[in-house]
Amino acid sequence: MTLKIAIFSFAHMHAQSYAAAIAANSGATLAGVWDADAARGQAMADLYKTTFYASERELLAQGLDGAVVASENVHHRRLVEMAAEAGVKAILCEKPLATTVANARAMVDYCAARNVKLATAFPCRYSPAFQSLLQKVQGGAVGKVLAIRGANRGKAPGGWFVDKALSGGGAVLDHTVHAADLNWLLLGQNATEVYAETGSEFQHAACEDTGFLTINYDGGVFATLDTSWSRPKNYPTWGDVTIQVVGTEGVIDADLFAQNLVCYDDTAGTASWSNWGSGTDTEMIADFLRLTAGQDAPRLATGEDGLRAVQIALTAYESAALGQPVPVASGN
Amino acid sequence: MTYRVALIGAGTMGGVHARHWNAMPGAEIVGVLDPRADAARAAGPAFADWDTLISQSKPDIVDICTPTPFHREYVEKAAAAGKAIFVEKPLSRSIEDCDAMLAAVEAAGVPAMSGHVLRYFPEFAAAKRAVDAGKVGKPITIRTARMAGFPDLGGRPNWYADPAQSGGLVLDMILHDFDWLRWTFGPVTRVFAKGLYGQEEYFGDLDYALVTLRFASGAVGHVTGSWAHPGGFRTTLEIAGDAGLIEHDSDRSAPLSAMLKTKGGAGGVAVPESPMAPTEDPYYQELAAFVHALQNNLPPPVTLQDAREATRIALAALESIETGKSVTLS
Ligand SMILES: NC(=O)c1ccc[n+]([C@@H]2O[C@H](COP(=O)([O-])OP(=O)(O)OC[C@H]3O[C@@H](n4cnc5c(N)ncnc54)[C@H](O)[C@@H]3O)[C@@H](O)[C@H]2O)c1
Repeated sequence: MTLKIAIFSFAHMHAQSYAAAIAANSGATLAGVWDADAARGQAMADLYKTTFYASERELLAQGLDGAVVASENVHHRRLVEMAAEAGVKAILCEKPLATTVANARAMVDYCAARNVKLATAFPCRYSPAFQSLLQKVQGGAVGKVLAIRGANRGKAPGGWFVDKALSGGGAVLDHTVHAADLNWLLLGQNATEVYAETGSEFQHAACEDTGFLTINYDGGVFATLDTSWSRPKNYPTWGDVTIQVVGTEGVIDADLFAQNLVCYDDTAGTASWSNWGSGTDTEMIADFLRLTAGQDAPRLATGEDGLRAVQIALTAYESAALGQPVPVASGN
Repeated sequence: MTYRVALIGAGTMGGVHARHWNAMPGAEIVGVLDPRADAARAAGPAFADWDTLISQSKPDIVDICTPTPFHREYVEKAAAAGKAIFVEKPLSRSIEDCDAMLAAVEAAGVPAMSGHVLRYFPEFAAAKRAVDAGKVGKPITIRTARMAGFPDLGGRPNWYADPAQSGGLVLDMILHDFDWLRWTFGPVTRVFAKGLYGQEEYFGDLDYALVTLRFASGAVGHVTGSWAHPGGFRTTLEIAGDAGLIEHDSDRSAPLSAMLKTKGGAGGVAVPESPMAPTEDPYYQELAAFVHALQNNLPPPVTLQDAREATRIALAALESIETGKSVTLS
């Protein structure tokens, strides 16, 4: 059986990588794409040899097995609920799952009530470097974990990413969710409190580009996280994801995107890093297809996982406004 | 003239200072005070007590390298004796002590400098020059990290393992970062920190802290301090501004890395080395800068006021670790 998957919006550039992974998977077919931007949608349909639908409903009427939602953040809820309503078996939603805790909660509940499996796109989980770190930490290599120092930085994005009305927030929302999810895997503990210093002086845009978070976890582990869009334009790569796990028996440093060739190009006048590490999206999409086929995909982040991460990011905003740590609301 | 130096405390840091004083034209060690007589003798002419040291060796400079709890006492004594003072960081465990030391030095009118040696580390000095020259534009996020194993005194009673004496790594080690950050990016207005300080089950063996700083300029800083890295020593530095980025990683700038067979042929560990010309050694440089200031009647380049301000940031971080709240500095 070939699973029929559709992509709803290419507003988030990750959608292209998902499209390629779906197209390359022998168990699935890209049944169509929808995009609010018809020109972009048509171009993507041409690129991935599928059909562009100008109407979400029309695409949903094609008997889809699964849906991928990669729109601007504020539209996630509407599209996820529409797909769930239409009876797809599983939905993969780009991170952050939503821009408010209430919306994220609603999406999780909506899907659960219709027996639709909701997954959050947290590809860093599939990084072999992270998997190895996770295995070592779970195997007790660093002893009892005491602290985690994380960083997920990037270059300044443009477009809707910096338009709060569409993104729901800047660097804090965009990057916290990845790292918060990795911490969740490493610790298996909930965050209890978040402190954040934020700023918007790199870009002077309406949403923040600087985020230094401190997160406290049940059991006493503390973590910090740099989410800033602080890489300059001529940085040799897009950004980074690094994690330092400190325990009673030692320390492990992980740099998820360290596997690079260093390229000096006289014609372009650039020095850049070309990553040869394993991609993460192929594995993530393969898991999503398993989920869609009704199989277990325990590594894939759920809607609950997406919600947990959003809650930490949103608590950071409250803290930044207060200048004091803020408890993470419990009982979500 | 040759500056006559009395060294107080001839342990790890005193030994380093002694080596540099002995190599420095225009300075000589004329007396050493340390209850460990052997250590004192190894560093220079040993004296049994303060009064004899001062009256017989007639120093111009008193260089204080004792454990932190003895700094105040010796600064006050040296000031009262009218000596120029070099005192290792941290000035003390409390702001009251710092203020008393400042008052003593001021009342005596003696020059005094504190050992905030990071300013003389060439990579940090160069980074400051680059920032001052506008190489990153306006600095916005700054991260430093100083990662090492727990201090080892080679079997001597380890005063570092007693937080009441050392203040843990926040006061003892990343104080260096606080001073350099304040020197380079201006005053700090808010401090939030998490750390193992105060957790008795780990202390003596491990310390780790993550400190977030807000500067008056609006910039945000983050300092990693670790005494949880078994073996080795690593520092990293990153300054991101609105027009550029500066990165430094000691692991990536060591010009030598040896990996040698051990006896029996088993593999050894790589030992990186980052050698400096003797007179460019940061510890030599800071002492030479003090002598230069004395010779030219200039204010010492790192004042006790500077040292007090750095201490204030460190104490705020410790307070934040203890209370779980951010601490505002006026
Ligand atoms: N600037 C730096 O990079 C740096 C590095 C290490 C230490 N330090 C500072 O230097 C100071 C000394 O640290 P250390 O690592 O050399 O410690 P240490 O224990 O190795 O040396 C201290 C010495 O002082 C002696 N001493 C103790 N009480 C004394 C007293 N009342 N009078 C005279 N001598 C006394 C001890 O016997 C010992 O030899 C501390 O304040 C420390 O924070 C600075």
